[in-house]
Amino acid sequence: MAFDPSSLRHLFPILAQTAYGHPLTYLDNAATTQKPLPVLNALQDYYRSFNANVHRGAHFLSDRATNRFEQARETVASFINAPEQSHVIWTKGATEAINTVALGLEHLLEKGDEILITSLEHHANLVPWQQLAFRTGARLRVLPLTSNGEWEPEFRHYFTDRTRIFAATQISNAIGTSTPLQIMLDHAKQQGAFTLVDGAQAVAHYPIDVQTLGCDFYVFSGHKMYGPTGIGVLYGKSHALEVLMPYQTGGEMVRHVSYQATEFNVLPYRLEAGTPNIEGVIGLAAACDFLSAQDRLALLTWEQSLASHVYSRLHKEGGIEIYSPEKGTTLVSLSVPNIHTLDLNAYLDSQGVAVRAGSHCAHPLMAQLGVAGTLRASFACYNTMEEANRFCDVLLEAIDLLSDE
Amino acid sequence: MTDTLSIKAQLQTCRSKEETFKTLVTLSKTLPRLTAEEKTEDNKIKGCESAVWLIIEESHGIRHFKADSDAKLMRGVLVAILSLVEGKTLTDIQQMDLKAELAELNLSSYLTSSRTNGVLAILGKIASN
Ligand SMILES: Cc1ncc(COP(=O)(O)O)c(C=O)c1O
Repeated sequence: MAFDPSSLRHLFPILAQTAYGHPLTYLDNAATTQKPLPVLNALQDYYRSFNANVHRGAHFLSDRATNRFEQARETVASFINAPEQSHVIWTKGATEAINTVALGLEHLLEKGDEILITSLEHHANLVPWQQLAFRTGARLRVLPLTSNGEWEPEFRHYFTDRTRIFAATQISNAIGTSTPLQIMLDHAKQQGAFTLVDGAQAVAHYPIDVQTLGCDFYVFSGHKMYGPTGIGVLYGKSHALEVLMPYQTGGEMVRHVSYQATEFNVLPYRLEAGTPNIEGVIGLAAACDFLSAQDRLALLTWEQSLASHVYSRLHKEGGIEIYSPEKGTTLVSLSVPNIHTLDLNAYLDSQGVAVRAGSHCAHPLMAQLGVAGTLRASFACYNTMEEANRFCDVLLEAIDLLSDE
Repeated sequence: MTDTLSIKAQLQTCRSKEETFKTLVTLSKTLPRLTAEEKTEDNKIKGCESAVWLIIEESHGIRHFKADSDAKLMRGVLVAILSLVEGKTLTDIQQMDLKAELAELNLSSYLTSSRTNGVLAILGKIASN
């Protein structure tokens, strides 16, 4: 039997509202997902029953908070199948995680070294590397993946003995394409490069196994996987985390401090300066528990069926450029020639349909596609087939209203 | 002719987002388009997600405006904005509360200072020395 989103939609109270008199149709899930009751309750519970600073010990509440905080690290570690919980570093999101790596590896880079990314990256997995290249004299190179994410045998030439860092997204946020991750990681590893995978768009949909992937670093944000904002994860293999120079210093990350010198703490604390986002950590663990309790494959299949339904309906209409793949993705990214995506967005909004219009923080990819921006409808487990159809209906109305006769 | 009064009236009587949308589409059709030569980088407003060009000409202390955008609703918004300031002196314009006037026209959602908002930049240029 097909998955029925109503089985969990009631866990998302925010969805039961109207927007300008229309039922709210939330299809901007790639930007951020809504949060289920177990996550909301975990946040409440934290402040109601065990709010205290962590690792400072010495009293009842602090012990409880510290225990739950470290339990959360275990929950997240097992969520991505990390071998040890000390490999999970809390950050404020994917962006901070990538910056932690980019700044942390700076001391190892030399002029002429190469940093390789793909042409499907979000600015978060591009600008930190570009700036690192500027600072060190390294060269930023871009593997030109097609919008279908196809692998060409000649791409292996992008991996050279100067490739020190290879950073790639697992799934494009702008067009939903999965990258040929495993083969790229294999080539990068053969050259001895550090490898980083941006899983921001993957974690909500796919079970993640960092050991099978074999990357040195894996990063993601909590808010895109039903967790709170302001919390994210940097997973790393021990040797990879060990070489990172902490880019922030201060309390919690030290063992001993004198005016002459500081001895840094062990991992994971060494990379977590200051009081952490405790509520975020608690909420993220609740989000992992929420997802782990679901039939992940059923959810994914459902989300993909919504996207491919929209794809085929709009494809049949004609006159709509669709950039996302026909199948195997959870979003639809499109544009309509001679109509600005912001205008389409404005009409969809007036009908209570929330999508995203713009360049999706991927200017070079938009240039590759030859568009200024796209309109993106992205699905989550709570979206219904009625919502997918409503998006299509309202989009077609918008095109009608905005076409110059 | 869509004079200022009727532009105001059309927008003020909108009861919903949808009506405002449709009115802006209608208004957008009244905006004379700029030529390719007029759409220079200098005339482009920074900070808009849609491209917006604004040209100010002044003669005998009176300001005249020409504007364009690649987005239709923005062209409608430009029609509304320009109807408020066209033919006025800089001093007159600087004494106006343009934000409040646009809010009265149900256009306040274009005024939120989000990261992508360029209408505030347009208002800034209109009233600049
Ligand atoms: C693929 C990808 N990488 C990185 C990010 C950055 O995530 P955050 O803004 O939560 O740090 C995003 C968010 O849109 C994304 O989609």
